[in-house]
Amino acid sequence: MSTPSIELPRRRKIRVLIAKVGLDGHDVGARVVARGLLDAGMEVIYSGLRRTNEEVVRAAIEEDVDWVGVSILSGAHRVLLPKLRKLLDESGANDIRILAGGIIPQEDIPELHASGVDKIFLSGTPIAEIVDYIVKETKHA
Amino acid sequence: MMNVFKPSGTFSPVPGDAVSEVSSQTARWKEETFAPAAAGKKDRKKFVTDTGIAIEPLYTPAHLERIDFDYLRDVGFPGEYPFTRGERPGMNRTDPFVVSAYSGFGDAEICNGRFRKLIEIGTEQILVALDLPTQCGYDSDHEMATAEVGNVGVAIDTLADMEILFDGIPADSIKRIGTLGNSIGPIVLALYAALGEKQGIAWDRYTVNLQNDPLKEYIARGTQILPPAPAAKLASDAVAWCVEHAPNWSAMTVCVNHLNAGGAGSSMGTAIALANARHYIDLLLAQGYTIDQVAPLLHMFPDERHDFFVSVANLRALRRIWARMMKEQYGATTQEAMTCHTTVYGHGQEALAEPLNNITRTAFGTLAYVLGGASYVYLAGYDESVSTPNENSARVALRTLQILANEHGFTDTIDPLGGSYFVETLTAQVERQILDGMAQIEQVGGALSAISTGFARRVMTEGAVRRQRAIDSGDRPWVTVNMWPQKPDVPNTAFRGDPKAEGRQLARLAQVKSTRDQKRVKAALTEVERATAEDRNVVPSVLEAVRAYATIGEIVDIWRRRFGAFVPSTDF
Repeated sequence: MSTPSIELPRRRKIRVLIAKVGLDGHDVGARVVARGLLDAGMEVIYSGLRRTNEEVVRAAIEEDVDWVGVSILSGAHRVLLPKLRKLLDESGANDIRILAGGIIPQEDIPELHASGVDKIFLSGTPIAEIVDYIVKETKHA
Repeated sequence: MMNVFKPSGTFSPVPGDAVSEVSSQTARWKEETFAPAAAGKKDRKKFVTDTGIAIEPLYTPAHLERIDFDYLRDVGFPGEYPFTRGERPGMNRTDPFVVSAYSGFGDAEICNGRFRKLIEIGTEQILVALDLPTQCGYDSDHEMATAEVGNVGVAIDTLADMEILFDGIPADSIKRIGTLGNSIGPIVLALYAALGEKQGIAWDRYTVNLQNDPLKEYIARGTQILPPAPAAKLASDAVAWCVEHAPNWSAMTVCVNHLNAGGAGSSMGTAIALANARHYIDLLLAQGYTIDQVAPLLHMFPDERHDFFVSVANLRALRRIWARMMKEQYGATTQEAMTCHTTVYGHGQEALAEPLNNITRTAFGTLAYVLGGASYVYLAGYDESVSTPNENSARVALRTLQILANEHGFTDTIDPLGGSYFVETLTAQVERQILDGMAQIEQVGGALSAISTGFARRVMTEGAVRRQRAIDSGDRPWVTVNMWPQKPDVPNTAFRGDPKAEGRQLARLAQVKSTRDQKRVKAALTEVERATAEDRNVVPSVLEAVRAYATIGEIVDIWRRRFGAFVPSTDF
């Protein structure tokens, strides 16, 4: 695990909710990433399988996370991810940002960025790359 | 709880008192000849299997001495106890492995066309891939089915879908038909039984293969619906029904593959799967069935994707362990109960970058299974990690199996790697790893405790993290990933099935629901509820409900009400 590229004084640790939405039951990637972020010093919550977007939004707000990382490998990302952004915004959580990981076709990536998904990491991305991105991009007041 | 029996051999560093001539010569070669040549050269990789066995530069008869190799006791002959060399007398020479396809997408109508094509080009067995709502017991019109209908498999809501799916494909026209349906085993069993009735084909004229292994879902695959104990009981009902009504069907396929892929590794994955198998068997024995009745209906689904020779060793060790477990622990008396039939699904370390390379990887992965003596062989499409295989990749997968079965002489002699110093040593080492794993699971209290205590999940996550590190560090080479790395690519065609399939499925479901005999459905569902409450075998009542065109969701809802839903674990 590489060390974070920038070390800034923080008011608190970075908090991340790793979530599985929809029926997709493949959560090895989600758990490995959760473990990797924890090892990198972040506070990590894992949603467990088969959550609705509503449940994820509730947990994200209650847990006061900086990021929601959604793992999807079943092809339902085009519907589920924009809906998650919409629900977060409607709940006043515009500051919580979304990462997605898994199997997502190139063609869908601009569309997902446009609908408010910050960054997409395809399966096979080294954990260090994800850690670096989160550390660099997290904005603390 | 039964004790785990002892493995073959003693694993003493040296048997007896004296060091044999070949043993001292082997040590001499390593020190005098090999070591100087290797000195100063950095290891190309870490010479250790994914399961953690260190691989030596050379194997000689000295290694066989170390495992206390006894040919007649531990290896023997094909079709004879302990079946190390094969569970059938002629194996691939007389009856080559069954060329199989796992396929399903969209709705029954479009999927039927693919099935016909697959059979036309030589597929001998079709395992239907179901979409996630079906696997999780939700009808296509349920809110949880949003954006998932027909995605990773075909949508099935009622018997009407099965009739369309197998239109023009009589159940007895290929060697076996079947599906996964791990959490809805009794329902998919009933659907296949009712399909035969609709097609006018008696149950003993065709063979159904079910996966029907819910316990591994809680650990790896994730389609669980109910808590583990009632789920296992319902799965065992399907086996019991087959013992009574269709003893030639394989009612359960206990899986290693998802456990291994999820991080357990093939040896611990096999141990967990065998513990799961024992849980199902014990439930059936408690109901009064005998091991000789039950064991022949159970198949195993071994898996190893990283190390070619471990694959071969795993299959050989598994057959030996199964035979000894059935005979020594369960007191099986028939040959059929002691033989472990294996289904395998050929994989390799498939990569997202340059997907055509996956054809090479999966062909080698599958060759290992063929040399190890698997009975029913599937092969992943080269695009399978990104989507349901397209027609072209499904054809390549099938042709690769046919090439393995017929060209190169791979299948001319039985267990061609048997007797190799390396493979026999590895077989004994893998066997020992599996038995050690089984002993650990016994210690935590068996299959259900391995789930409830988090033992199995810990094993999975730790293994997955270890694998990720081995890839990140380069200890495990992976071409286009950590050697000559390329950007991963998910093609735009991934998940782009027939956009009209979902609409057709919803329309058909609505039509079936409005035209069926509502009184008959209601009576049948009431009977399912009663059978469930009275702890009777649910299959007869489910079969009647399926005949009446009750939906899968309607039946599963009865069980959700009765047993409650599973609670997803938030451990990682």
